[in-house]
Amino acid sequence: MKITILYGTETGNAEMLAEDMQAELEGAHEVECLNLSDMEPGAFDPAQFYLLVCSTYGDGELPASAQPFAEAVEAQKPDLSAIHFAIFGMGDSEYDETFNHGPKRLAELMLARGAVQIGERVAHDASGDDMAEDLAFPWAEAVIAEAGETLGEAA
Amino acid sequence: MSGKIAIVGAGPSGCYLAQALLKAAPELEVDLIDALPVPYGLVRYGVAADHQGTKAVARQFARVFERQGARFFGNLRVGRDITLDALRDGYDAVVLAAGLSQDRKLGVPGDDLPGVYGAGELTRALYDHPEAVALPELGPNPLIVGNGNVAIDLLRLLAKTPEELEGSDLGAAASRWLADSGIETITITGRSPAAQAKFDAVMVKELAKLAGVRIAVEGAGDAGEGSKLLDALAAIDGHGDGPRQVTFRFGLTPVAVEGAGRAQSVRFAGPEGEEVVPCSAVLTAIGFEAASDAGLPRDALIAAAQDADAGRLAPGLYAAGWFRRGPRGTIPENRADAQALAALILGELSPDPAKQGRKELAALTGAVDYDGWCRIDAAEVAAAPEGRCRAKMASRDEMLRIAAQKEMTQ
Repeated sequence: MKITILYGTETGNAEMLAEDMQAELEGAHEVECLNLSDMEPGAFDPAQFYLLVCSTYGDGELPASAQPFAEAVEAQKPDLSAIHFAIFGMGDSEYDETFNHGPKRLAELMLARGAVQIGERVAHDASGDDMAEDLAFPWAEAVIAEAGETLGEAA
Repeated sequence: MSGKIAIVGAGPSGCYLAQALLKAAPELEVDLIDALPVPYGLVRYGVAADHQGTKAVARQFARVFERQGARFFGNLRVGRDITLDALRDGYDAVVLAAGLSQDRKLGVPGDDLPGVYGAGELTRALYDHPEAVALPELGPNPLIVGNGNVAIDLLRLLAKTPEELEGSDLGAAASRWLADSGIETITITGRSPAAQAKFDAVMVKELAKLAGVRIAVEGAGDAGEGSKLLDALAAIDGHGDGPRQVTFRFGLTPVAVEGAGRAQSVRFAGPEGEEVVPCSAVLTAIGFEAASDAGLPRDALIAAAQDADAGRLAPGLYAAGWFRRGPRGTIPENRADAQALAALILGELSPDPAKQGRKELAALTGAVDYDGWCRIDAAEVAAAPEGRCRAKMASRDEMLRIAAQKEMTQ
């Protein structure tokens, strides 16, 4: 499967996870990894499956590298109805009121443009005991399997 | 691109800089030098013990050494073990990222009385820094002067119950000290009106989780004026019915610390004239400055800089992070800064193959390398008691002893 991992990062933790996911998936798939700050809303390709990795910053805001993308999507209102994505969130439950609000907002942004979400939005907790990759790798395998069926049917 | 770069200070700014340099140019020789035997600077000694999620950036920094090839030279102090000039002779570029460690003083009469403590001094003591002073007696009514996140961190730590420190890396001595503190009230004052306070709203909101306090916010002004901070302050006003009274005050400029041989009150200039607020200790959290250090004279270097805004002090000599900018900016801001500086350095670097680089450092005795740090790290994690994620070594000698231990079992 052709996969593009898009990450929104502030401290670099989401970037590191995105790169780890790329390394993990590369054997079986064709994988690109791109900062959301370098992603044009018009550049989505229906033949790709998009894995979004996104943190939360400040008071439940999108991380810095996702903000220009969010603004561009809101301004350009692209039709993403042929686009399939899954999203993995990174947060810190110390700040429980806004825990994982960044990825939630990013998912809502994609859904509002008609994009189709595969699987559940999973959230890693930096104050928990799990390593992000221990959650993210099995999650990625599961959503890729599910996307394989969906994208297969669509094709 | 080849080339040899030394970074003085293995805190977040130095580590992010090494990360960015090696990402763009993996062939570089990048060496991080730190006066302590352990890396990560304020991530280890400044980020609060109960904010372990924030400390997760250390995993990225470990990669810089483990995968990107940076080398760690701990326990080397520039100016004592090696001069700045010798470093500049040995490397194509030297970057100063040693931070700012000294508390700014209030600058009013009485600010040197016993019972006045700086936030940096106190956090180093709380977080087992090897050069920390002993934890002081604060008495029942400490008063915090300062309206930034460092002040909030102190307030939160002092206000927490022992149960609320579960999962932190607060050491045994500091945990006992907090449990036995006998604190009844904590007053936190700022010079500016609340709307201009430097707290992050999210840090204020976090206080609403404290179980052992009751919070009063006085004179903050009206919420709902579009300020997230004012909303957050309004939201915590009246929180809780615990035994410790926490009071926020604004618009109070310290005029003097008063007391007979020890701080017993602070005289403020306020909106309604002078006011004396009694207290049992004064904790200042009003910023940091460079400690006087002849071997690394920060203020003189910055004053003479070619381009202080960009971080170029002189040809081949750069400054990053708080050392360059002053004590402002969180971890991600320093990451963005480091990435910009990496681009500047790479654009200007002209490698000289005659430079000795790390060969010069390797000749110095007493340095702790990355493997040595890993042994300290493993020993600290293994020693963590129930309810803690780590037990930090507070003694430099013990760090050096563990760092020097080779594997005992094969």
